[in-house]
Amino acid sequence: MKILTTHPAADPAAILYTRGTVDLKSGSIRLEDVPCRNLEDVLGGFGRSFQLLAERRITHAYCEENPLIVNTGLLTGSTAMTGLRTYFSGYSPIKGSKKGLPAAMWATGSGNFGPRFKWTGLDELIFEGRSPEPVYALVRETAEGPAVELKPARHLVGLTSHEKMMALRREYGEGAHVAAIGQAGENWENVYMGAVALSTDNQFKSGEDKMRFAGRGGMGSLMGYKNLLALVAQSSDKMKPTSPEVKAVNLNVVKGGGSARLQPISRGGGGGTWAAYDVLQAFHAVPVNNFRPQGDDLPEKLCREQVEGQVVIRSEACYRCGITCHNNIFEKLEDGSAGRFLAKFDYEPLNLLGTNIGIHDPVQAASLIHLCDNYCMDSISLGVTISYLLSYNERHPGSRLLNGALFGDYENIRELVVMAGTGKLPEIGRGSWRLSESTGETSYAYHVKGLEIPAYQPETNPGYAWAIAGGHMSMGTYGLLTREGKSDMDSWVEGITRTKLQIVGFDMIGLCKFFDITKGICTQMVVDCLKSEFNLEVTTDELAAAVRRSFLRGLALELRQGYEKAEYTLPAEVWERRNPNIRLPEITNQQFLAELQERVWAVFEPELAGLLPEAGA
Amino acid sequence: MQVTVRLVGVFRIDRFREERRCYPETATVRDIVCELGIPLSLLGIVLINGSHAAIDDQFRDGDTITLLPFIDGG
Ligand code: SF4
Repeated sequence: MKILTTHPAADPAAILYTRGTVDLKSGSIRLEDVPCRNLEDVLGGFGRSFQLLAERRITHAYCEENPLIVNTGLLTGSTAMTGLRTYFSGYSPIKGSKKGLPAAMWATGSGNFGPRFKWTGLDELIFEGRSPEPVYALVRETAEGPAVELKPARHLVGLTSHEKMMALRREYGEGAHVAAIGQAGENWENVYMGAVALSTDNQFKSGEDKMRFAGRGGMGSLMGYKNLLALVAQSSDKMKPTSPEVKAVNLNVVKGGGSARLQPISRGGGGGTWAAYDVLQAFHAVPVNNFRPQGDDLPEKLCREQVEGQVVIRSEACYRCGITCHNNIFEKLEDGSAGRFLAKFDYEPLNLLGTNIGIHDPVQAASLIHLCDNYCMDSISLGVTISYLLSYNERHPGSRLLNGALFGDYENIRELVVMAGTGKLPEIGRGSWRLSESTGETSYAYHVKGLEIPAYQPETNPGYAWAIAGGHMSMGTYGLLTREGKSDMDSWVEGITRTKLQIVGFDMIGLCKFFDITKGICTQMVVDCLKSEFNLEVTTDELAAAVRRSFLRGLALELRQGYEKAEYTLPAEVWERRNPNIRLPEITNQQFLAELQERVWAVFEPELAGLLPEAGA
Repeated sequence: MQVTVRLVGVFRIDRFREERRCYPETATVRDIVCELGIPLSLLGIVLINGSHAAIDDQFRDGDTITLLPFIDGG
């Protein structure tokens, strides 16, 4: 990034980012410095990539004109805590409108790849077209600036994401970090939910498969379609010494309200996202058997309290992050010590590959998460598509589909994961929307706008309908009813149209949401970091305006890709078979949703005009 | 007055799941939270008889007060 101004909102063109464009077909590579058009371009992530995607008219995700954009945020690789994010954007193979057009998507993850990529001197890499042979991209820091090369990758074909990473790390050594797909992405024709895994120091030191994931929207499948199996970023560690100002911010992140609850229990924290099990169970709102909580204590079997005796749980963190939100699970040996690494227990994968498919044994759930991670699929899309199948099979005992698996049937579910991950089961690999269209029983498919919802009951979150990139991390309303107790229309309209959409700011600037999940990026903490790291003067209002424009651009882009307003809704089972077991006020009947739609669009619609450029033919 | 206090998740560690406890007429939920040493930074939700309430709300004899940690997405 070349920064020639102190006022990025007023003079964005005085900030230039370094973009590499790789034509995978011809192998040609172009590097250029691009002036920013607005503050969103400066911040980066999807704020920038969606402006590029909006310039193209894409009618099928698997076409040569659909780019894969890999970029970072302004604070990726900085001393600001959690500044580790990498973003992957493109038109999605899995999310699309009923008209059949693919939606623009981004996926993001932490790990060490993002900082290394940034430290090579690149801010963005656009992969155009499709390589005739499997390749990986090597991005290196050189005395002349960043260098990009394509390398043959035949030797990586068929390896898991972890194996690819280990092989490339052996080849490139200490300063190298890797983003890779697994077999799922390689089998892109039958798997639309391929993820991209990002390597971590912990993974390379321990040899254990502790990578991070940019999971949502099938960006790994798009990478596979392009025959691009991995990216290697090789650079020296360019982390600057932390200034007193950023130190104060980081201290606040760790000790202040924002993230304390995500910290390990041993440090007085709440123990990561796994704690959501306890909270949601108090309302009988933990998804069970395809999002049908039964009002019993079954979900408690995967609550931490009950799992603790059966496995060893270790709190671990991403590189230099003091939040330490990971709960890594290991086999418990006879003497009580830790054996083999099993999986990382986050709320979403644990629920969707556990309780929500009838698996209540932590070791079995861990094994499914582990498989999903190694084939490199989005655990949300995979879990929800499997739960759809299991619920179908339960409803149709005489004509079960695929291998006839039922809830809790571990061996058969395992087989589904393996077959899907290796591209042998397109019925699962292409997601719940397509599967439900083929059976005709669409009400039971827990997706919104074609993308599976995460492990928050839709009855608790009508805001899902307006999430622009997956259900909870691009619309922060998932706690509005459960946590804040808001069930009135005004609060929901305000939440969706104003306060809760701000969560997407994290997916621009390069920080993890746990930096300050309740307040977002439009805070003095972020202003202080930008001043200290880059001498940039930005106000919280300017940040908020840039985040809002980016969100609205995402919404405008959805509409341009053919979404009808009727698609901004929830899975129909929610009102067709109201679940009486959920102990929360009912806010998802058709009447409430109809009024919410009317009022939300009344706010959004006037702001959408002029946000998108004319798309090319 | 006597109320039932229910704790959820990490709040149970070294405390209890559910207990009948005595408080003065003017007590608020904050008094319970302070008495039990629950860090405010971890407190996400307060329920009185199953309905969302605020930390400075008062309660009545016979009520059930539930204290839950935050949820942060996953
Ligand atoms: S908050 Fe958690 S996921 Fe985010 S950077 Fe820190 S340890 Fe990693």
